Amino acid sequence: MRDVVVLGAGMHPWGKFESKSVTALCRDAVSAALADAGVAWREVEAVAAASSRFSGGKGWGLSGNDVVEDLGSTGVPVYNLSAGCAAGGNAFAIGRLLVASGAHDLVVVVGGEKLPKGFIQTSGVEDLNDPEYLRQLCVGMPGPAFWAFLARRRMEEHGTTERDFAAVAVKAHQVGKHNPNARFRKEFTLEEVLASPLVADPLHLYEICPVSDGAAAVVLASAERARRHTSRPIRVAASAVATARFGDGIPRGLASVVPDGPTLHSEAARAVREALETAGVGPRDVDLVELQDNTVYYELAFPEEWGLVEPGESERMVAAGETLPTGRLPINPSGGFLCFGEATTAQGLFQICELTAQLRGECGPRQVPDARIGLAQTLGLGGNGTAVVLSR
Amino acid sequence: MAQDATGGTPVVEGLFAQTADGPRLLGSRCSGCGTPYFPRASVCNHPECPGGTLESAAFGPAGTLWSWAVQNYPPPPPARYDEPYSPYTLGLVDLAEGLRVLARLRSADPARLRAGMAVSLVLAPLCRDASRGELLTWQFEPA
Repeated sequence: MRDVVVLGAGMHPWGKFESKSVTALCRDAVSAALADAGVAWREVEAVAAASSRFSGGKGWGLSGNDVVEDLGSTGVPVYNLSAGCAAGGNAFAIGRLLVASGAHDLVVVVGGEKLPKGFIQTSGVEDLNDPEYLRQLCVGMPGPAFWAFLARRRMEEHGTTERDFAAVAVKAHQVGKHNPNARFRKEFTLEEVLASPLVADPLHLYEICPVSDGAAAVVLASAERARRHTSRPIRVAASAVATARFGDGIPRGLASVVPDGPTLHSEAARAVREALETAGVGPRDVDLVELQDNTVYYELAFPEEWGLVEPGESERMVAAGETLPTGRLPINPSGGFLCFGEATTAQGLFQICELTAQLRGECGPRQVPDARIGLAQTLGLGGNGTAVVLSR
Repeated sequence: MAQDATGGTPVVEGLFAQTADGPRLLGSRCSGCGTPYFPRASVCNHPECPGGTLESAAFGPAGTLWSWAVQNYPPPPPARYDEPYSPYTLGLVDLAEGLRVLARLRSADPARLRAGMAVSLVLAPLCRDASRGELLTWQFEPA
């Protein structure tokens, strides 16, 4: 396998853009990534796209084909990758393989999304064989309630308080307000977070991420090809994909088995541990983490599940400012999902854009000082987990 | 303690039954590795299963509460509820048979719930349907 680098990164800001198509959002993101890389569209040899079931000109999740047609049909191979909210990380892994294998020198990875209003509805089929349909029909448990279960369990197990959770949201906006690509750029006090509506007790509105529109893209190149363009490449040290392990205790349908060990998102843990191992990076070597904070709960639980911090340590770290860009383990200096909202398939790629900008030292007030190694992680419906390690 | 509802129609057939010993969830158990499934399953998904057949099994009524959440806003379709909407509590319950089951909790003040508390399976109204009448689903309540 050859070394692969992120040669260019580009984003369309996150928000709600009713008059703009998802293809137009992707065009802006890809154009920005190409300009950043210093290459022309006609030089791109393949496209890996995070495919959406929510939006796109053709429907059917042919997101990459829409992008290629729009930018100019050069006849290049297109791979449309579907992995729910982990699709961006999944497409990135395939894009990296396309270059690492020697099949291509220059590959674009893109994800874009326009989501319907309201919380994400994961199903949509009326079929009693569909576990998601059955679950909603018989019990009625939208996504935020799933996150509330996990948050409540942490309160019972670790003594986490509502103020501990709110502190994570306060921190997210404290840094996210400096990110011009974030959708919500306003600071909140602890009291304001706690006064926001209890969506799914114990979680408040400002503690969960809403849906957004957005797009992000990167240009991947072989290290050899990249030498023509830059003397300071951002290296893809690892890109891992995993799925859930049987019996991890996370109920993905109406029931699961009671786990032998702790309940955890095994797909995320496996992807992260594999990525760190492949990169040859220890937990203490990671300079910053972009993790999937659909809710504040994950920002406390994930670093512990991945061995980055000791179990039960997260609340104290947030309170001490150790997860700020200037802290011991900066988490989501981009502002994370809480400040961006979720444009499902694009999320994994906005994280890569943030890591790239951080490792280049381009992030201004939210810059992690002297960042050298960054970790990004996504989690998607169907038990999909991805993790990426970038280094300079 | 509320009584099990005796009238009404199951919201979906084949998921639960009222037996001589009380309400039960209808699922399967693998003869090879013992893994329990709800609802019924036709194949075992356990990656280390030595091989077996799935046999009918009934689960409940005793369980312990693993976690809970209060659904404070009306859920989107296909979830069902009576108008006007009133928030309900959801629970994840660990059954003695090794199953973690999602359900609504009834007769439960959320402020008094604790992880590990004993709960019991009941069949109880979900909502009233214009054509099918009262719809029943499986729920849990403090034991």
